[in-house]
Amino acid sequence: MSHDIEQSLSAGESGPQRTRRILDSMGETLERGEVPIEILNDEDIYQRELTEIFGQAWVYVGHESEVPEPGDYRQRTIGEDPFVFVRDEHGKIRVLFNSCRHRGANICRAEKGNTTHFRCPYHGWTYQNTGDLVGVPQKGAGFDHLEAEEHGLREAPHVDTYNGLVFACIAPEAPSLEEYLGGATWYLDMYFDLIDMEVVGDPQRWVVDADWKTPTENFYGDNYHVPMGHKSAIDVGIGSETATGEEESKLYGIADCDGHAFSIYQIESEKPMFWGHPERVVETFNHDALDDDQYEVARKSGVTLGTIFPNLSFIFLGGRDDPNKDPVGTFCLRQWQPRGPGEMEAWNWILAPTDAPDEYKERVYEVGMSTFSAAGNFEPDDIGIWDGIDEAAGSVFAEQTEATTLFTMGRGENTAATVDDDWAGPGTAYANGGVTDENQLDFYRKWHETMTTEGAE
Amino acid sequence: MQDELERRRTLRLECEEFLYHAAELLDDRRLSDWHDLVTEDIEYRVPIRTTRERSSNTEFSEEAFHMKEDWGTLKVRTERMSSDFAWSEDPPSRTRRQVSNVRVIDYTDDEIELKSNLVIVRSRKAETDPDILSMERHDTFRREEDGYVPDWSEGGGLKLARRTVLLDHTVIPTDSLSIIL
Repeated sequence: MSHDIEQSLSAGESGPQRTRRILDSMGETLERGEVPIEILNDEDIYQRELTEIFGQAWVYVGHESEVPEPGDYRQRTIGEDPFVFVRDEHGKIRVLFNSCRHRGANICRAEKGNTTHFRCPYHGWTYQNTGDLVGVPQKGAGFDHLEAEEHGLREAPHVDTYNGLVFACIAPEAPSLEEYLGGATWYLDMYFDLIDMEVVGDPQRWVVDADWKTPTENFYGDNYHVPMGHKSAIDVGIGSETATGEEESKLYGIADCDGHAFSIYQIESEKPMFWGHPERVVETFNHDALDDDQYEVARKSGVTLGTIFPNLSFIFLGGRDDPNKDPVGTFCLRQWQPRGPGEMEAWNWILAPTDAPDEYKERVYEVGMSTFSAAGNFEPDDIGIWDGIDEAAGSVFAEQTEATTLFTMGRGENTAATVDDDWAGPGTAYANGGVTDENQLDFYRKWHETMTTEGAE
Repeated sequence: MQDELERRRTLRLECEEFLYHAAELLDDRRLSDWHDLVTEDIEYRVPIRTTRERSSNTEFSEEAFHMKEDWGTLKVRTERMSSDFAWSEDPPSRTRRQVSNVRVIDYTDDEIELKSNLVIVRSRKAETDPDILSMERHDTFRREEDGYVPDWSEGGGLKLARRTVLLDHTVIPTDSLSIIL
């Protein structure tokens, strides 16, 4: 490297300096409802997210119904880290690090299956599905000093389940999952306690040219984009009853809910809505699982969506794949997997009520797949729009001008989005939630707080 | 023997020309014309593939799909993709379908069962590094009067009655499947 180049490089900002500048300035920009666009495509910010967010938070791993039998396993990632989500022979769910204690090779190489043991293909070290090391070839001859019980597979130190949803936290210290979810449990109960749900088949996975935060931000409650972004799907007659205007609804944006957020369309009607599930399916729900307030919100629910920090989103809606067919209630659970600055992999699981008839579950799957998935009628339009944000975010100009994205909707004096003090659930409920950015700002507040927490250096 | 050989050659040529024609319609974004070439009882499926151990009997899901379509849902998709508001395809992605290894598996007077390989090269914007989708397709063609007829053929028209797309990917390597495979 020539002297001149070295000089000009040292005059610029180093990665850590840039990260510090962005995070420092973000404290102020958030106050005025703006977010530095640079965070959507920056190598140092991204590396810090892997350690400070995905390395600290409770991250979704899978649903219990994906590993129903002892020995069932699925490969999963926490951030970018490789884990095996397995139900061990005693029925306990574990999240094992997919790396042999000997030389680090993957001990599990299939995406899913059922096994009593994982055997490393390198030297043959063998582990039970509990993670215990039970076989070391030529142990007497070469490893007589090795304590097998101290060399089981490493595993996520915290694994817990909330109504079938399995989360893991890889940090040494963690709050309980219930504490982490906080007020979000009131909302999650409406889907996973009122209804026993199961995942149908395998998740759809696809690459997306966008940062993981872009869809996360959207699923924190960007209800402003629906009429424009999804016009093509609404025009062909497959929008939900609330999107097409067949049923008039009120939209509540739930912010200030322990870092998680929800959007809830309420249809004022005597008849039970329950996200478009028909009566014969609603009959199978656990009607005693909720308190009266929760039950009433569930009964009036049209579309509902939300996100559990950091990257687990869902949308629950009544929809169809053909205007000539009956709508069904379908639940798409999605995870925005970080795969690099400005790059991610989307995972989409479709869940159906466990006690519904098989032919109904099949329709739930078909409608979910046709709505939100790589080939869905709604989702690709979002993704087509997001492609390019990463380029703007990673630009010199964005850095030079400290460009921001804008989340000030609903801050004016005459805003239609007002706090509904009568809302029964946790968090702050904004009536006319389609014209406020408070939900989405919550994501960036939580993100910023997590990225700058003491000890995060 | 000679007659049988001639018949198989003609059949394969007919199938190849149908596949090339359908590929041209899709590459040229004539989606409604493509939809005219599927039967009313079409079953069109793109099952999800997972990485499995060699001993597993299949890598393809029987219950999870990227697409699982019938005539009506394909009509919805082709109409939506042609909309001025389908942002994933406006500006449209540019696709080039390479159809090869056409194998006629079985046939009757009414139906032909065949396999073919397909590579789709897909480009967007000013990108110089296209997305590549690779797959095998198992198709059933059926003779219907208003189907596709090559200009040299004296037989009846052909329509697509069944298609199963076996992707070589477990993770779709393109940012949305807003195209027909």
